[in-house]
Parts: sequence; structure tokens; C-alpha cells
Amino acid sequence: MIKNYLLLALKVLKRKPLYTFISLFGISFTLMILMLLTSLFDATLGANQPLTNRDRLVLVPSLERTRTETDTITKVDTVFMDNGQVRYDTTETYEDDVVSTSNGPMSYQFVTKNLTNFKAAENYAFYNDNAFIDGYLNGQKFSFAAYYVNANYWEIFDFDFLYGGPLNADDDAQASKVVVLTDKAAKAYFGEASASVIGREMDLGTAVYRVRGIVARPLTDSPLFGGDIYMPITNVDPRELNSDELSGGFSAVLLASSPGQREALQEEINFLAENYDMSGEEYFDALELFNAPFITGYAQGLLGERDAKKAVRMLFIPIGILILLFVALPLLNLVNLNISRVYERKSEIGVRKAFGANSRDILYQFIFENLILTFIGGAIGMAFAVGMIAYINANDLLGITRLSYSYQVFLYFLLVIIIFGFLSGILPAYRMSKTNVAESLR
Amino acid sequence: MIELKNVSKSYRTDTIETLALQNLNLSVPAGEFLSIMGPSGCGKSTLLNIMGLIDEPSTGSVILADQEITNYNGTQIAKFRNEQLGFIFQSFHLINDLSVVDNVELPLLYRNISGKERRRMALEALAHVTLSNRAGHFPNQLSGGQKQRVAIARAIVGQPNIILADEPTGNLDSRMGDEIMDILLRLNAELGTTIVMVTHDDRMARKTHRLIRLSDGERVS
Repeated sequence: MIKNYLLLALKVLKRKPLYTFISLFGISFTLMILMLLTSLFDATLGANQPLTNRDRLVLVPSLERTRTETDTITKVDTVFMDNGQVRYDTTETYEDDVVSTSNGPMSYQFVTKNLTNFKAAENYAFYNDNAFIDGYLNGQKFSFAAYYVNANYWEIFDFDFLYGGPLNADDDAQASKVVVLTDKAAKAYFGEASASVIGREMDLGTAVYRVRGIVARPLTDSPLFGGDIYMPITNVDPRELNSDELSGGFSAVLLASSPGQREALQEEINFLAENYDMSGEEYFDALELFNAPFITGYAQGLLGERDAKKAVRMLFIPIGILILLFVALPLLNLVNLNISRVYERKSEIGVRKAFGANSRDILYQFIFENLILTFIGGAIGMAFAVGMIAYINANDLLGITRLSYSYQVFLYFLLVIIIFGFLSGILPAYRMSKTNVAESLR
Repeated sequence: MIELKNVSKSYRTDTIETLALQNLNLSVPAGEFLSIMGPSGCGKSTLLNIMGLIDEPSTGSVILADQEITNYNGTQIAKFRNEQLGFIFQSFHLINDLSVVDNVELPLLYRNISGKERRRMALEALAHVTLSNRAGHFPNQLSGGQKQRVAIARAIVGQPNIILADEPTGNLDSRMGDEIMDILLRLNAELGTTIVMVTHDDRMARKTHRLIRLSDGERVS
């Protein structure tokens, strides 16, 4: 039965090359764009290395200090009395008014003392990403984005180490002059990213560092891991490390003990901020610690929106609507083309029904045929998408972001094809299945 | 084998109602070869469609192979058609994208039969109409007579008890028409298949066991 349907489906496709071309073009183009979008989505927000722990992360990028003063608002009503005199009624209301705020990353002392004792957290990474550092080699100068990170950073973010290994707690304790490089930085500085680079020296700023490891560049840019080179956190200027201010140059990423514990961890962070003793602060009386899961944090950062739920809605609803519109047009076109195909095959349906096919058989046959068409279109679309992805990556057309075609992207894609094939086939197939036999054989 | 009781069929449009069949009673015993004649538009094809369960009577009842069909649902009707009925059409209605043998196999697709068995049965049916050598051809490679023989093979492949033929020789010259008629007569004689044939051709009708005539939806003889 399936073989018969398949045979017929392929013959029908061959019969009308123009129709088939238009259908396939619509399908493959749409699917190619969808695959590129899925790939971009996966590269940006997917749980790829070094973000395998994505669903357990709570980002604490910065804090905000505020000072609130109570305003007194005085309202005076003038009342004319019967005796010709005037009375003045005065009412006073009080309103809290934020008179000054200051926000930014946190100090090293603050994060190490306060953000390491949460019940729902399993691990904590701190980093300082606020620096560019110059590298020198043979009279050449290079500029690198430098990240100063603690040893736990390498446990939370599972970078793909191509050669060598991560920095460790001893490096933090001794402020060792060692670095981890991305493959891109290694190629820029040493001309190669290979095992032979491990252990070699780099002139960075005013000191000489030794290469400990080389990691594959992550698929996307992120404030969490946007460095070309990574050094032990204790290499930051000691004055900054020892500062007892609340604000400084450090951000934190906490690893909840499970995805389910993320909210509990956020509550603990909020509790800490609300109850933090601000008596040492001269100008501020309240503390807030920004905290968000990875995707929410991404949406907030991208849109500059503080309200977490609103940020996620603002990011995903327009994307969803755009994708829906983008898919709807070729889908409707395909439905239309399929309906016209219905009429051409009326007599075939009549014959099939006369010889015992019931409506469901006809429905299945045409959905099956449409799925075949969509799968062929999908295969072409995928070939295009793979080519486009290679082209985009080779030319860095999306900046630092590189697209991937992981098996997850492939699975999303397969799902999209099935849904697409099913949706564009169901209405014409349903119409076909209801064909009146006597009429179609006339 | 076929029993029609007080069957009427009317078609209604917004303004007028056309009566295609009026209070028609007909009984066709098993093994009979019946032909139906009458002028165009007299209701012959409607009658055949009602017997073939591809059209419903407006009133009256249809009994086929001792089964009262009137209240069958779509799936039951499809199953009944598949097992009990075979159709032959004037314009053949072969599927041009399928080979001859695949066309013949078509009714068996809707039965629970293995592909191998389907192929064997289809080739056997083609042998009945002496077209075994054309099994791998496509309908467009065949003459009209050969196409109709394929259609006959398709009609008999499922070994139905009843064959309904709507002007099976209408599109063929007299020599080919005779050939087709001979096959139908042989099927009727050898397999005992009940055949009801609509025709315009007196010569063909005279070869059958019985002839009825319709005029304006009524049986006149």
C-alpha cells in the first residue's frame, strides 16, 4: 500500500514539473529560512557548550542601590463660608520617592562574602569582563578581550577544551600568570591553535603569562563568556579585589542544584538583598540584586527591560508572530496549489472509492503524498541551509555568532517538516476524501 | 442477488426538482446478465449508480447479496463495494500514472492482502482478459479495447459477485466492442458473476439474458 502511494506520489510530482517546482521552491525556501532561524536560536539560546548547564543558571550581573525619601505633599483648599469669611483646609499626604540610584557590577569582596552561601546553589562563578588587554609578540600588538574568572567558572561553563585544561583553585590562590585562550585568539597570536601552544608564553600587558589551555570559541557572543583570553580572577588589581565598596567590576553566575531549584535560589538572592545591612552606605538605603535565569536574562539584556516576564514576552511574542506569518504565506500557497490538484485527480478518487476506498483511505493517501513532497522540499531546503550556514560562518556574517547544525537542529527541522507537510495537506486531502463518487466519475 | 423496491431518485436545485427514477422495482437473480437500455437522460446511469452504492436513492430500498444496504454507513458501504462489486466504465477510468498491473491491483489495496498475493491475483485477472503480456505497460500505451480489458481485469480481480458495467463498449469500435462483450459473457458463464450492463447498443443487449428499458425514470419493459 505504502509502496503504491509512494510510487504514485513520485509520478504525480514528475507529471507537472512546473507545479512541482513551485511547490518545492516554496517549501524548500521556507524550510531553509526556518532552519537558519532555528539554528540561530539554538546558537544563541541553546544548551550548547559551554552552556550545557543553561537551565540551572541564575545570572547575577549587577546590583542597584537606591535612596528613597518621603515627600510631603501639602494641599490647601479655599472654602468660602456663609458668613463671608474664608477658611483654608490643609491636607498632607506622604509619598515614597526614589531620589537617587546607582547600579553596576559588584565588588569582589561583596560577591565572595555574600553570594557563596545559598542553600539552593551548588556552585558559583565570578568574573570580571571589564577589560581589554594588549598582547605583544615580535613587535606586533594585539588587543584581546580579557575575562578574569574564578576556578569554579570552569565547572559551571563546560568549555570545549581543544588542548590543555582549565585554570584551578591554586591559580586563584597564587594569582598565577596563566591563561586559557580561544582557538581564534591562539591563531591570532601564535599563528596556530595546536597542542604545541600549551605552555608557551604570552606578553600580556606588563606581565608574561603561560598558556594553560585552548578552548573552542563558543557559538555565540555572550557577556558570560565573551573573552578572547581568560585569567585567574586574582590577577585583577589588588586595590579592586580588596575594595569594601558594594559596587565594583564583578558579576556572578550561580548554579542551582537543579532546574527546579532555580526559583528558590532567586528568592534567596532577593531575600539577601532586601535584608542587607545598608548602614555602611552613606548615600543609599536599599539594595537590589538583579537576577534572572539564562533566557530571561538574555531577553532583559537585549531589550533593556527590567521586568522579567515582560522581557520574555517582548522577545518571544514578536518572534512567534513573525515566524507564523512567514510560514503562513507559503503554507496557504501550498494549500491552494494542492486544492487545484484535487480537481485534476477527481476521477482517480472516484475510481478508488468505487473499488472500496473509504474516506479515511483517501485522506491518508493525500496526506502521505503531501508529506513526501514536503520531505523532498525539506531535503533540498536542508542542503541549502547547510550551504548557507557554512557560508555565513566562513564569512562571519553574523559577527561573532556562528550557526550550528546539531542533531537538535535537525530534529526541530524534521518536526517542522512534518507539521508543514501535514498542515498544507490536510485541508485539500479532507476535501478530496469527501468527493462524491458518482459526480467524479461522470 | 439485486433487489430494488420502489426506488425513486430526485435531484433538487434551488428552483426545480428533477425526477431521475420513479418507483422502480427490479429483481436480478444471481448469475443473470441483465442489460438496461433507454434514451439519454432516462435514468440508466442513475439506476446503475444506485445498484453500485455510489449514489443513494431518495426513497425505496436496495438489497444486494441478501443484505439491506439502505442503512449502511460510509465504511460499511466501502467494504461492501470492495468485496461484492466490480465496476466497468465507458471511459475506462484507469489511473494513467500506474502500470497496467498496478491498476488491476487497486481494489486489493483496500483489503488485507500481502503485496505478493496482490500481484499474483492481478496477473491472474489479466490472464483472464488475455493481457498478461501488457502487465508492465501504462494505460496510455494501450488501445481502447485493451484499456477496457484492463478495466475488466480490475473489476474481476477481487472476485466480486456483481459486475456493473456502464456502456462498456460505448467508446469502442464494433470489433473491439464484440471482444469486450465476449469476455463479459464468458465471465458470466464461467464464473457465474451477475452482470448488469447499461448500453445503447441493441446488438449487445440482445446477447444478454434479459433486457429492460427505461424512459423518463420509469421502467417501460
